[in-house]
Amino acid sequence: MREILYRLKDRYHLGTPTFQRTDLCFVTVRRDEIRAILTELRDMEGFTHLTFLTAVDWIEEQLFQLTYMVNNREANLSLGLRVLLDREDATGDTIHDLWPTAATYQRELREMFGIKFPGSPRVDEEFILEGWTDLPPYRRDFDTLAYSQQTYNDRPGRVTHDPKTHMQKTLYPSYPKGAK
Amino acid sequence: MSLRDVLSPFTAWKHVIDDPVTIKDPFNRPGADRYRGFHQNDMDKCIGCGSCEEICQNAAIDMVPVEGQHAGPGDSGLRPMIDYGRCCWCALCVDVCMTGSLTMSNEYTWVDSDPDAFRFVPGADGKSWDLDVKGYQREDVRRLTGTTRAPMGEMPAEERIGNFCEIVDGFTPEQAVIEADRCVECGLCVATCPAHMDIPDYIAKVRDGDFEGGLRLLYETNPFSQACGRICTHKCETTCAAMHEGDTIAIRWLKRAITDSVPRERYFDLIRKPDVPETGQKIAIIGAGPAGLTTAYDLARAGHKVVVFEALDKPGGMMRYGIPEYRLPYDVLDHEISVIEAMGVEIRCNMRVGKEISIDQLKTAYDAVVLSIGLHQGRSTRVPGSEKAEAAIDLLRRITAGEEVPVPEQVAVIGGGNVAMDIARSMARLQKIIYGTVGVTVTALEELDRFLADREEIEEAQEEGCVIYPARGPQEITVAGDTVTGLRTWKVKAIFDEEGRFAPKYDETDEMIHPAGMVVEAIGQMSDISLLGADLTEQLEWNRGRIMIDSEGQTSEPWLWAAGDVTSGPDVIHAVADGHRVARSVGKMLAAKREKLQ
Ligand SMILES: Cc1cc2nc3c(=O)[nH]c(=O)nc-3n(C[C@H](O)[C@H](O)[C@H](O)COP(=O)(O)OP(=O)(O)OC[C@H]3O[C@@H](n4cnc5c(N)ncnc54)[C@H](O)[C@@H]3O)c2cc1C
Ligand code: SF4
Ligand code: SF4
Repeated sequence: MREILYRLKDRYHLGTPTFQRTDLCFVTVRRDEIRAILTELRDMEGFTHLTFLTAVDWIEEQLFQLTYMVNNREANLSLGLRVLLDREDATGDTIHDLWPTAATYQRELREMFGIKFPGSPRVDEEFILEGWTDLPPYRRDFDTLAYSQQTYNDRPGRVTHDPKTHMQKTLYPSYPKGAK
Repeated sequence: MSLRDVLSPFTAWKHVIDDPVTIKDPFNRPGADRYRGFHQNDMDKCIGCGSCEEICQNAAIDMVPVEGQHAGPGDSGLRPMIDYGRCCWCALCVDVCMTGSLTMSNEYTWVDSDPDAFRFVPGADGKSWDLDVKGYQREDVRRLTGTTRAPMGEMPAEERIGNFCEIVDGFTPEQAVIEADRCVECGLCVATCPAHMDIPDYIAKVRDGDFEGGLRLLYETNPFSQACGRICTHKCETTCAAMHEGDTIAIRWLKRAITDSVPRERYFDLIRKPDVPETGQKIAIIGAGPAGLTTAYDLARAGHKVVVFEALDKPGGMMRYGIPEYRLPYDVLDHEISVIEAMGVEIRCNMRVGKEISIDQLKTAYDAVVLSIGLHQGRSTRVPGSEKAEAAIDLLRRITAGEEVPVPEQVAVIGGGNVAMDIARSMARLQKIIYGTVGVTVTALEELDRFLADREEIEEAQEEGCVIYPARGPQEITVAGDTVTGLRTWKVKAIFDEEGRFAPKYDETDEMIHPAGMVVEAIGQMSDISLLGADLTEQLEWNRGRIMIDSEGQTSEPWLWAAGDVTSGPDVIHAVADGHRVARSVGKMLAAKREKLQ
């Protein structure tokens, strides 16, 4: 794995690699170099399989992280390439021409995170969410609880009790709480 | 086309005699082994913390009272009720559950025409899958809430033994934020704290880095937050939900982190006297310990004139004259008390009531009197030679006051409580400073695991070189002429008789002489009630040697209240809670008096 990274390092900008295991490594690369690196890995280094393409929402940093996991079956090596995108109007470069399956991942990322992949087949069609009008639900600023409360009804007659208040009422009702 | 391609369709025919893989009875199809089906909850294990309710992103859970479950230490008595009309079976509730009581069966088929049948309390409302073993259980590899305490620095034994410097560093603000982040804010601890401090709320302030907001919250329930952040008996931590599957939250150290993080001069801006009219009413408080000063703090903030009469040189009571400096530095206590004084509380030191001024004079000159004199007389073992023994609290007071105390090379301490550890460790420090070595023996009736002292106190004493002899009963303090030479003890066979009364039995053949130039008795304290005088002592109602009070701290006399160790105890936070109670009761009486005058 290290030799492969050495070979890439000469021509591309690689971040510091993180070795999760000897056969599993993650490295951050530049967006404008990802297609070239993936092509080289696929055609020259035997990473013929795209295991997955997924995203992480680093909302505090205002970034989305794409992770391209590719696998060399022969050598049993997995390499995760990370690309950071500006969270505002996030757009990635489609790789459906390298791996047709990528189109499906990209359609999912478009729906769940709102990341655009111009040119990817059927990328703007609904994937699993039908008639979704809210924020893409995997974004960390999507409020799942508020959404479920707006969307689904409660059974009538529901009441809940706060443990602290309940204990105060049952165990020490007369203590001068907040004696200011 | 190869031959293989031609033949392969026919090879499938060999499966004709195999068992079919399709399910014969699709209506009774079991879920997969780890399927997430209807919940199960172990009612005895569940503590009603509500973390499951909190995490549920579908608002499917309500915490409800349940037959047979009662609120008590570390258990709210509530149990989760699930609305399966909302549940999406994500199992976040199972993953977060603080006790591991909540699991899921692999049962998922159930038809009923009543939609309300799908709202029930798993474990309480019996279901056929309650005892199923298959289903989803949390994998024990990763927890959503951290299970280990954030690290905190403290001085190692060899560094701390030659001085009285504070041992524990306290959290840095960064460490405190990490520790605070582990709290699930269930609030079960609040019931256990005698002063019912707003623990989850101030921990949330720490987590958000808002130490000033945290300080304001602390002072709403406890004007001795700085002291308690260091020396509180922290019983709250014995009911923390985190204890079931990890370290309890370091509640005490988080409190300290708040008080340490706010600059001292800022206290006076943050803790201001409320803008209330002066009532012109006056209260005398006897004793400037935490009970008396908390009462004073509350009453002064309510607009009354408060004067505290203190027998000793400085205020603080046992927090100053009992608890050693290495656990509670004096400058911390001084600052703490200056905040109370800033409310307009007047503290008159070197004023022993019963000597400099009589309790009758106070009764006449003030609208109410509060007795908060603590326990300042050491109890004696009354064994032969005990008149030559030192009392632990006497010695501790003299060490604090900077008086010269005799420091022999070998000291024997009688007692297994915290006071015994405090005097043992204080004498060990003085010995180390003078002789360069420690020679302290501690003997107690109890076995080591039954000692009343806190575990950490015992361990730290041992680390510092104190040698502990458990299950040894004092028989004699041996004397040669006028000087103490040692302590003679017998092995303890039993401390209590069949009826549970204190009646130690000894093995007389197992005798030890612990050589010592000083023997210290640390077996308990009592109040010096001579200030009351014969008449008042006669008038007051008593309860097994202690002044009787009602639930609000009032004695049988309408003008006299009592608070703190003198009536209840046993620690600072109970004294603070007593102070609040008494202040409210006195306040009610004063308000009634004002109303009458109008
Ligand atoms: C050695 C030792 C270690 C302890 N360690 C801890 C600990 O780690 N954590 C904890 O929470 N608690 C601890 N305690 C217990 C705690 O200090 C007490 O429970 C608490 O101080 C009681 O408060 P109080 O206000 O009732 O009485 P005190 O603090 O005892 O204050 C009473 C005050 O009244 C004054 N007084 C007495 N008689 C008169 C009079 N006639 N006229 C005027 N003034 C008078 C006394 O001088 C004293 O200042 C310890 C106690 C001791 C002795
Ligand atoms: S399984 Fe998920 S949705 Fe259902 S009660 Fe638990 S947390 Fe809520
Ligand atoms: S999280 Fe677990 S222990 Fe807490 S209330 Fe829910 S089921 Fe009970």
